[in-house]
Amino acid sequence: MRRPVLVRRDEILRGGQPLAFAIGLTVALAIGVLLLLGAGHDPAGVYQRMFEASLGDPDAWSITLNRAVPLGLAGLAVAIAGSMGLWNIGAEGQILAGAVMAAWVARVGDAWPGPILIAAMLVAGAVGGGLLAAGPALARSSIGVNEIITTLMLNEVALRLVQWLIHGPWKDPDSFNFPLAPMLPDQARLPVLFGRAHAGVILAGVLITVFGLAVSRSVWGYELRVAGSSEATARYAGISLRRKILTVLVLSGAVAGFAGAVELSGTADRLTETISNGFGFAGIIVAALALMRPSGVAAVALLFGAVQIGGQSIQTLGVSSSVSTILQAFILFGAIGAGVFSQYRIQLVAGRSNMAEEPAT
Amino acid sequence: MSTVVGRMSEEGPAVALTDIWKRFPGVLANAGAHLTVTSGTIHAVLGENGAGKSTLMNVLAGVYRPDQGEVRVHGRTCRFRNPADALSAGIGMVHQEFRLVPSFTVAENVVLGAAPPLLRQSAVEVEVATTATQFGLTIEPDRPVWQLSMGERQRVEILKALWRDAQILILDEPTAVLTPSEAEELGGVLRRMADDGRSVIFISHKLREVTDFCDEATVLRGGETVAASLIVADSDSTQLAGLMVGASPVITNRPPPKEPGAALLEVTELSAHDDRGIDALHAVDITVRSGEIVGVAGVAGNGQRELAEVIVGFRPATGGNIVIDGTDLTTATPRQRFKAGLGYIPEDRLGVGLAPRLSVVDNAVLRVYSDYRRGPFLVAERAAAHCQELVDRFSVRTGALTDPVAGLSGGNLQRLLVGRELDGHPRVVVAAQPTRGLDVQGVKAIQDLLVAERNSGAGVLMISEDLDELLTLADRLLVMQGGRIAGEFDPVVSSRQAIGVAMLGHQRDPEAGQ
Repeated sequence: MRRPVLVRRDEILRGGQPLAFAIGLTVALAIGVLLLLGAGHDPAGVYQRMFEASLGDPDAWSITLNRAVPLGLAGLAVAIAGSMGLWNIGAEGQILAGAVMAAWVARVGDAWPGPILIAAMLVAGAVGGGLLAAGPALARSSIGVNEIITTLMLNEVALRLVQWLIHGPWKDPDSFNFPLAPMLPDQARLPVLFGRAHAGVILAGVLITVFGLAVSRSVWGYELRVAGSSEATARYAGISLRRKILTVLVLSGAVAGFAGAVELSGTADRLTETISNGFGFAGIIVAALALMRPSGVAAVALLFGAVQIGGQSIQTLGVSSSVSTILQAFILFGAIGAGVFSQYRIQLVAGRSNMAEEPAT
Repeated sequence: MSTVVGRMSEEGPAVALTDIWKRFPGVLANAGAHLTVTSGTIHAVLGENGAGKSTLMNVLAGVYRPDQGEVRVHGRTCRFRNPADALSAGIGMVHQEFRLVPSFTVAENVVLGAAPPLLRQSAVEVEVATTATQFGLTIEPDRPVWQLSMGERQRVEILKALWRDAQILILDEPTAVLTPSEAEELGGVLRRMADDGRSVIFISHKLREVTDFCDEATVLRGGETVAASLIVADSDSTQLAGLMVGASPVITNRPPPKEPGAALLEVTELSAHDDRGIDALHAVDITVRSGEIVGVAGVAGNGQRELAEVIVGFRPATGGNIVIDGTDLTTATPRQRFKAGLGYIPEDRLGVGLAPRLSVVDNAVLRVYSDYRRGPFLVAERAAAHCQELVDRFSVRTGALTDPVAGLSGGNLQRLLVGRELDGHPRVVVAAQPTRGLDVQGVKAIQDLLVAERNSGAGVLMISEDLDELLTLADRLLVMQGGRIAGEFDPVVSSRQAIGVAMLGHQRDPEAGQ
């Protein structure tokens, strides 16, 4: 009797990732047809609306690009840590921390000229995210505390901080006692490129390029990749693991914090507790789809953004939000599931024992 | 010790393994091995590393299915599909790595997987305590396992088997994790089990334990049984050691010797801990001179790994000094030692020596990448050129140099690693198991490289479990046993038997190795 098992490929299939993505997308859309028919909708019309709303014209593109910015930056944050085999699950909280710091700068500097204020907000955002990640980074590098748990738990801390601020000290006196932070000063807004796309698109593109190059081409990135492949090998080569872990996790947090500042300055009117909007968690999926390579994050974030924007738009056709969410999940799940086959292949093996036999050592 | 051993039950011996063959990719682990164990005896299974002991025991315990051969338990032919089958036939195995849940109590671990549907904590604890007392095992059933010492954890593993009423208990090197007094105690427990009519199969490298605890012994070599069911009381340890290491082959291809020069590596009174924080090296003295290969032989786990790691700077020394080419580097970092002329070929090639997911180029420059820096960047062309040079010079067969190094075959991985380490002509080379797992050609290639390095004036410290390799290549041979140098031998004139006795540590006195 033969049964299928997944076997790791000796090397990752060249061009397998985009191909798998395309196949996964097609399969997911096909399943989606059944879902939409079952829910009583016209699949062709729904798919057409999804496409038009996300990629149909420059305006649609501008909305998709705006969505891709926080997804890409959060994905970059996760991928930077991931290149070294570390997991930053705290991008969600770091985005909030970055937004808080940027909002604070906007409060302090509401009379400053625009470019200076925006630059200060962005730097403050990165500092905020970096600070939130500094605790887990220190704990991991000095005494080996698992960073997955600490970064994850700090998400909650950051959320409570924002809630406290907008219910308390930062509540807008003109908000009729609603828990709302005050509107940002006008000059704190990122300039618009076209349609609704803001300058954050360029900032994100630059940052992803810089980190992509740093990881793949620089000495720093080389040491990072060695450490990510095997810690013992890094020690053998004389690479200081402690310092690397510390800087990499803080940098990862800083990038997520930067995303928070860009979101605040680019698309939000004011600091809200929903400003992170799940981007930090979506960033983990983005980074995983990009195989933890910073250079691959941009393309994945763009597709991810288009799916989200398209999925939201079909709700105006009467598609319920749950059906839309399931459809989005299908598409992403299909893409990720298929992505496995660029790294693994199916092999039929004899027998039904599920025990791997390996020689004793 | 009595020579009247056990009792034959009517159905035949407790265990009869006949003509067992088991092949793994590239390794023939068992080639017609036999084993007969009588009820009510403690039976030792002896053999060097790689003799096929663990494989044979895993066949009996249902972990592996033999390619060929017969397993009979109490006279009945058995075909185990998994360890549960073997357990229900009354065979329990205590592996070297314990399989316990640290957060569970002793009692919970003992009944895990075989618990009655309604688990009453107190009743189970009483039951487990009764079983423990019956065999003289001191244990508190309500203690969580994470609080226990290694010796206590081992007792939990033994209890697991006894609670399932195992009639045949296999222990894989049980004393490796024990203190001498714990080992003594274990001996008593095993004797009670034998007196109770059960059979104990005791895998060991230590001759002293075999002569102290065991009734009979079966010796394996190269996957075959070379001596079956010897009465221990009638055998002497030299005979057993001789059976284990085999007859001396005629070594014809020794490289011509070279007059050694100045001392390049001087290790004095070096001590270090193992991963558990227990002393693994006891005041070891080793000198390696220019133009000689010093071999370190020994059964695995006698401090060889720790010795290599301390010398190259992976493991801190708890005492003593390491001087390389006249400079004291006892506290230097691995990189400083490399710069001072120390090359290292680690035992774990893909986990320590190479970064498996990175490209051939990235791995080729691991030691020298800072030389190819321009500003913040690593100059890819120069790194690739260096890699190409290594690949050509050391005949490494690769695909694209940008492919992950993990795709290379074992022999080519080792050529790349050895080439990288020898590239700058280090003064001292520490080579740990440099030819293990390679095919004949690969072994020859690596050995030739090390000999060439010796001839050009380097000092080589070669740690190997392959005694033939050391007898062929080494100019001097040291034997490590229990974290000490148990003897120094001249590989040209020494008998394998004498070396084998030193490896197995029958002589307590470390000076008496010669």
